[in-house]
Amino acid sequence: MSAARGSNPVGAPETPKVLGGKLPRIDGPLKVTGRAVYTSDIALPGMLFAIPVRSTIARGRIVSIDANAARKLPGVKAVYHRGNIKAFFRTAPPKGFSGLIDEKRPPFEDDEVRYYGQYVAVAVAQTMEQAKAAADAVRVQYAAAAHNVGKQLGADKPMKVESERGDADKAFASAPVKVDQVYITPTEVHNPIELHATVASWEKGHVTLYETSQAILNHQDVLHQMLGVPVENVRVITHFLGSGFGGKLWPWTHSILAAGVAREVGAPVKLVVSRQSMFEAVGHRPRTQQHFRLGATPEGKLVSLSHEYLNQTSELDDYKEDCGEATPFMYSVPNLRVASALSRGNIGTPTAMRGPGAVPGLFAMESAMDELAIALKMDPIELRKRNEPTQDESNKLPFSSRHLLECMQVGAEKFGWAQRDPAVGAMKRDGLTIGWGVAACSWGAMRSDAQASVEITREGTAIVKTATQDVGTGTYTVLAIIVAEATGIAIDRVDVQLGDTRLPMGPISGGSWVTASVIPAVSNAARDAVKALLGMATSGPNPAFKGAKPEDLQLVDGRVKRKGEASSGVALGDVLARANVRSAIGHGKSATTMGGAESRKYSLHSYGAQFAEVTWHPQTARLRVSRFTSVIDAGRMLNPKPARNQIEGAVVMGIGMALLEESRYDQRYGAPINSNLADYMVSTNADAPPIDVTFLDYPDLVLNEMGARGVGEIGLAGTAAAITAAVYHATGVRVRELPVRIEDLLGA
Amino acid sequence: MRLTINGVPRDVPAGDHETLLAVIRERLQLTGTKEGCARGECGACTVLIDGRAAYSCLTLAAGCADSAVTTIEGLGRADALHPLQQAFIEQDALQCGFCTPGQLLAAAALIARTPRPSEDDVRVALSGNLCRCGTYPKLVRAVMQAAEMMRAEP
Ligand code: FES
Ligand code: FES
Repeated sequence: MSAARGSNPVGAPETPKVLGGKLPRIDGPLKVTGRAVYTSDIALPGMLFAIPVRSTIARGRIVSIDANAARKLPGVKAVYHRGNIKAFFRTAPPKGFSGLIDEKRPPFEDDEVRYYGQYVAVAVAQTMEQAKAAADAVRVQYAAAAHNVGKQLGADKPMKVESERGDADKAFASAPVKVDQVYITPTEVHNPIELHATVASWEKGHVTLYETSQAILNHQDVLHQMLGVPVENVRVITHFLGSGFGGKLWPWTHSILAAGVAREVGAPVKLVVSRQSMFEAVGHRPRTQQHFRLGATPEGKLVSLSHEYLNQTSELDDYKEDCGEATPFMYSVPNLRVASALSRGNIGTPTAMRGPGAVPGLFAMESAMDELAIALKMDPIELRKRNEPTQDESNKLPFSSRHLLECMQVGAEKFGWAQRDPAVGAMKRDGLTIGWGVAACSWGAMRSDAQASVEITREGTAIVKTATQDVGTGTYTVLAIIVAEATGIAIDRVDVQLGDTRLPMGPISGGSWVTASVIPAVSNAARDAVKALLGMATSGPNPAFKGAKPEDLQLVDGRVKRKGEASSGVALGDVLARANVRSAIGHGKSATTMGGAESRKYSLHSYGAQFAEVTWHPQTARLRVSRFTSVIDAGRMLNPKPARNQIEGAVVMGIGMALLEESRYDQRYGAPINSNLADYMVSTNADAPPIDVTFLDYPDLVLNEMGARGVGEIGLAGTAAAITAAVYHATGVRVRELPVRIEDLLGA
Repeated sequence: MRLTINGVPRDVPAGDHETLLAVIRERLQLTGTKEGCARGECGACTVLIDGRAAYSCLTLAAGCADSAVTTIEGLGRADALHPLQQAFIEQDALQCGFCTPGQLLAAAALIARTPRPSEDDVRVALSGNLCRCGTYPKLVRAVMQAAEMMRAEP
């Protein structure tokens, strides 16, 4: 691919034959025929349906719950609330990636209501429709109290410093050129098309949960704690996920309710969260308010950077949107200060959403950089060049692999940046004003613990098992590729098993680190299995290669043969048959980078450059994103096809973030008021412009042997900033509060 | 009530008030048709009614008694994929796959009506089907490819 052309900067192995190809995803046929079974498709014998009753106030107390009328409706089995269900427990403080839950209060813990839509009761009936009718018939009396769902955020405690070097205030005061602005990102809702759902089924004290989960092992751990049953009695299954974008990482109260209700009624229970509830009780990206101050010399060298920010959270939970994640290392600056605090409101608990922290944080930082370039009358790419660091200045560590400027340069060539006339409104085409904008982006490169097993069977197939999830990013396919690569068994003979807590420990589907994490575990497991197989070929009662050493043999296309010999060898099934075993099994592990040796030696991040073109028609106040170029430095691409798809999809989401998305609260009742997909707009097909994606393809061998980093999140970072920069270029209006509204541009 | 789904007439003990989506998914266990909003906003529940794309969540089953209903299970078979299904796989026009059945049926209705669609025709025809994974550029390419494959076939 373009920039890596021939250069092999870190001595990477040759691109192996399965990798880097353009394989179709192996679960494609199931998905295009409707045979992929998602959680809400599960139907168990005798299954009942549960529908929660949602509070209609945003703050106050439940005075009484009258379910008499509801209980008499046809098909209704029960109505549960605080007074008549076995209580749930809280979780102990989390350890690593277990015990994690954002909304920590178990359902029905007390009579307090702290946000609109909080579950106050739950109806169970024979059909979904009957359960809904029953839930609607439950009468709840509240003593309402004043709530706060306001847009203006205020710190609940003094700001806490996250990163500091030099004296940012002093350097800012004396800086010749300054930017001093507040940037706001709104409440955004993940809104995967698949609704959250749980199907819970108990048998003899054991519960099986079919879940919409991006982290089944954590889900198992949380449910074990909250239900008060041994961890081995909880099994969580997520075979296919209709995506999650972070919203399905940690369990939400509906899952605990479904399990609790199923335990009470003694029958399997399905609970599907409504689209409306998806705006209330399963998390969102919180509103952020970020104060940026940049000071620079007239030559465009940064001398001071200060980033102070607030994010909204719920009354009870301290969810922090880490907007300062990328701030300390992105640019070279001697004086820097990043500080933050929380602001509370009567809203549901926020949670991680695609690129948490970095995405809103980079909107602010890259907008500020663009404003600085304009103040300096300097090309924004040139400004980035002048502030490119040689190391991570926050911890003085070398970058494992950073090619941000090359991303900018390649992107500029592909986009045609040299043709840009920087004057506002100067570029026209077909009666429209054209605006061009650019922004940098970054996302952490991480690896987490993982284990895997690989089984080579007599039939000549390989079975790989690990308890991770495929959220739509192509994990099934990546696992098959790694096993095919390491064993020489054809990819269509590799059976991938994931999404079940009974499998070896696998990573959560978050942080874009599944691929990086499973590579070592699965490669090791596959090699271990091959080693076991070759061992059986050389020793034991009746070995196929008597007297040979395992090192002299290899497995090629499903046959064991001597290295360097032309003979066709022995089919692996025959090797196993002669040893009289069913299969050769291997195990493998990956170790996390978080807190690990690499993270103490290197600054591990992916980078990219985003280029946006907008068209503006002032007469009709019509703004569109007409073209987008994204150049990403995310290590080696194991399978560019789904990787490209990830970046395109993130850009499409970024267009929504820039121009469409905001969950708004009704100030009178405290309810998210546009809680549906008609009023909370996301990009449609007609909103998606041509998107040009390039990967630099520099392997990051610090991270794993294949040099691959993840691409699930980085495509969203910087996208909105590139678009608002383009909007400024076209209209002269700088929008610092997302999304860009027509009203913002009417004066233009 | 009697419904003809994927060419097979079936007697379904459904009430007059039940939506086509509920009958397909819950009574007939044809779970390839998805629910994403239940109010005509997302397109996940798209089926064909006499060849036209329709949101099954906004359609009463009782109103389909005289119609032919096609769901994703009737578009192609696992061993003989419809050209649209093939093109979706080849172009990687899916990620999580949840919107995919609806996208395929909306596309099938378009090609039946407009065998030679422009890219803009595709964008408009599929704009009632949200894809939060953002596979839109790939969807357009896949539908264009399928339309071409179908024109080439007799
Ligand atoms: S479920 Fe019918 S349009 Fe969303
Ligand atoms: S592929 Fe996930 S919603 Fe379209």
